[in-house]
Amino acid sequence: MVAVNELQEMYENMVTARQYEERLQEEYMAGKQPAFDISAGPIPGELHLAAGHEAAGAGVCQHLRDDDTVTAPHRPHHIAIAKGVDLKRMTAEIFGRESGLSGGKGGHMHLFDPDVNFACSGIIAEGCPPAVGAGLAAKKRNTDSVAVAFLGEGAIDQGAFLESLNLASVQNLPVVFVVEDNDWAISMPKERVTDVENGAQRADGFGLQGMRVDADDAVAVSEAAREAVGRARDGNGPTLLEVQVHRRMGHFMGDPESYRPDEDKDAAEQRDSIERLESDLQAHGVDDETIDDLRSRAHDRVEEAIEWAKDQPEPESEDAYEDVFVNPPSGVTDNEPSTADTGGDD
Amino acid sequence: MSGTDDSVAVETSDRWPDDVDEDVGVVVNWFVAEGGQVEEGDSICEFQVEKVSVDVPAPATGTLAEIAIGEDEEFERGDRLALIRPA
Amino acid sequence: MAQQEKDDASGQQAGRSLTMSRAMVEAIAHEMRADDEVFYMGEDVADYGGIFDSTEGLLEEFGRDRIMDVPISETAYLGAAVGAAQEGMRPIAELMFVDFFGVAMDQIYNQMAKNTYMSGGSVNVPMVLTAAVGGTYNDAAQHSQTLYGTFAHLPGMKVVVPSTAYDAKGLMHNAIRDDDPVVYMFHKRLMGIGWLPAPDGPKTGVPEDDYTIPFGSADVKREGADVTVVTLGLHVHRALEAAADLADDGIDIEVVDLRTLVPLDTDTIRDSVAKTGHLVVVDEDYRSYGVTGEIIASVAEAGLDDLEAVERVALPDVPIPYARPMEDEVVPGTEDIAAAVRAARGDE
Repeated sequence: MVAVNELQEMYENMVTARQYEERLQEEYMAGKQPAFDISAGPIPGELHLAAGHEAAGAGVCQHLRDDDTVTAPHRPHHIAIAKGVDLKRMTAEIFGRESGLSGGKGGHMHLFDPDVNFACSGIIAEGCPPAVGAGLAAKKRNTDSVAVAFLGEGAIDQGAFLESLNLASVQNLPVVFVVEDNDWAISMPKERVTDVENGAQRADGFGLQGMRVDADDAVAVSEAAREAVGRARDGNGPTLLEVQVHRRMGHFMGDPESYRPDEDKDAAEQRDSIERLESDLQAHGVDDETIDDLRSRAHDRVEEAIEWAKDQPEPESEDAYEDVFVNPPSGVTDNEPSTADTGGDD
Repeated sequence: MSGTDDSVAVETSDRWPDDVDEDVGVVVNWFVAEGGQVEEGDSICEFQVEKVSVDVPAPATGTLAEIAIGEDEEFERGDRLALIRPA
Repeated sequence: MAQQEKDDASGQQAGRSLTMSRAMVEAIAHEMRADDEVFYMGEDVADYGGIFDSTEGLLEEFGRDRIMDVPISETAYLGAAVGAAQEGMRPIAELMFVDFFGVAMDQIYNQMAKNTYMSGGSVNVPMVLTAAVGGTYNDAAQHSQTLYGTFAHLPGMKVVVPSTAYDAKGLMHNAIRDDDPVVYMFHKRLMGIGWLPAPDGPKTGVPEDDYTIPFGSADVKREGADVTVVTLGLHVHRALEAAADLADDGIDIEVVDLRTLVPLDTDTIRDSVAKTGHLVVVDEDYRSYGVTGEIIASVAEAGLDDLEAVERVALPDVPIPYARPMEDEVVPGTEDIAAAVRAARGDE
């Protein structure tokens, strides 16, 4: 059973994530009309939005503490929000501003917030091994922290994921692998790239627990995650949890999705986990006014973060030369000499 | 109209993508220069609306007599992009 | 200018010009029609047509057996390309971004690149590894690298970097027909994709018939008397832009487009330096232990007396940052090239 206050917490979290993606979409597309130019507008580069994935982030992270580690893939915003990443500084990072989490060096696929042990990798499945490492550290230090690696269903064919399952299992590490199944690896439907019906079946070959939540249902995710995270925290080993989600905004902004049947997209959008959770709240006797309050609080928070981020200055160009090392060895310059000073003999 | 009576207009109405809201497109590439020979059905230019890019086939065989909308220029749905003087 | 003459001699007389992606695809389609053993594997290469249009339209003609979407399993499918090539087929396998090579590095450098040598030449690996490279659109540290030097450093791979549609087609024909592994690195910014606008220059006239451009033949894209600028990929066009600016000040630069890093056409570079005495090497890869150092060393070894001055322009030794001011800082721009040319001449 998930308590009513937990439902409300998830709901606010999910509405925040949805509102965030919708607003980022607006900001991103500004300056990219009438024809899409990926490097134009206030947010350049690729942008992978997670609308439709909210239940996975909220349902899992609800059971995590700040000292638990999360690694997220290239589609990280909803997970970051659920994990408690500083929303203003995350937004500033996405806008490429000096006050961003990484001072503008990382961008939206590379969000790092050590205060809540959150990290990303833009390379498919490559967040899995570091999550295993966080689990290893917890075990060696005898803490009860856990680590969670999020990945998409397209990542379950990748070596880094499969090797991580094995290592976590054989070492009995406190790790949960969360596969967000949105049915599409960019343009490739899952049945074209794997012969298993679902990603949770990968657990069988590695001797760890496999679970799957078949519907876009935050409550079911929360219940499954409670079990998986609890198992890890109690020292009883890793879990592979696959969660059905859906993709509302293309693989990345700029993806025309011409490969995707309209019926598929329409059907996916009918499975809105936020609407479903709203019904659950009403069934638990939460009145409309309370729901409206949760929504408007989420909207205000998103708006505030975006306005704040847009007010922040851009980094200085010379900042590019910092942070390669925390302890720069001699010979590594803080400032790259101008080409006029470099004669090929330095 | 700058073409002769038998000139054939190159335009985009029947090529406009279904699932876009915009009525403005941008020509991103011309594959034939003014004065070049074109063959009916060959792609002679490419335009983009929102995220969708579309090839425009030559409506007739002949000479590309005039390009009205150059590369990187915007145009409205229905605008004439070029004229072909049939062979 | 050299490029214009070439266009007149080849493509423009065909009356059409192509983007770099279309020229690549035309060569692949030609080779696939001619040889049933050629096939293409990659992520999102079928229905999507390649994220950077590298296979646009091929699925319709050749079907899923020959234009294969594969799982996100680079080790498996790049290794499978090695195996199929050793069986005598001619696979083309694509890395969506060259930055993903790390996932499958062993198959690339320990298998694909070494099996010929380790077998004493009794095995060969006639495959093409295509990969999208390059930055300039704020895709940050894991999606913006060129890694030219990394691939060229490891023996056993031929490394191709086209800068125009004309070159892209001829080099692709050569790559597929070559009996050795070829890494074909196409710059995203040059492909002519609507959402990633190319500079003027990569779209050129392209003959409809097949033709090959031999590997190891650098191309003088602009002839000039004062300074030799050696470069590749996107920076060929940035160097040509710099040339136009410098010409206004009476500085006449020669732009040498390497086109292939392995084999490297040192003769063309040395001939140019013998003429100008000044060498500027421009690269979008990291500065240290890379292309710039290699080119300069190859000139110095054989013709030190010809060298009056040397400059290099490359990415400083930092990962590629996301935000615009920082990415613009580290990726060499037209003005960086012009400044290096002036410095080589002792103007500053």
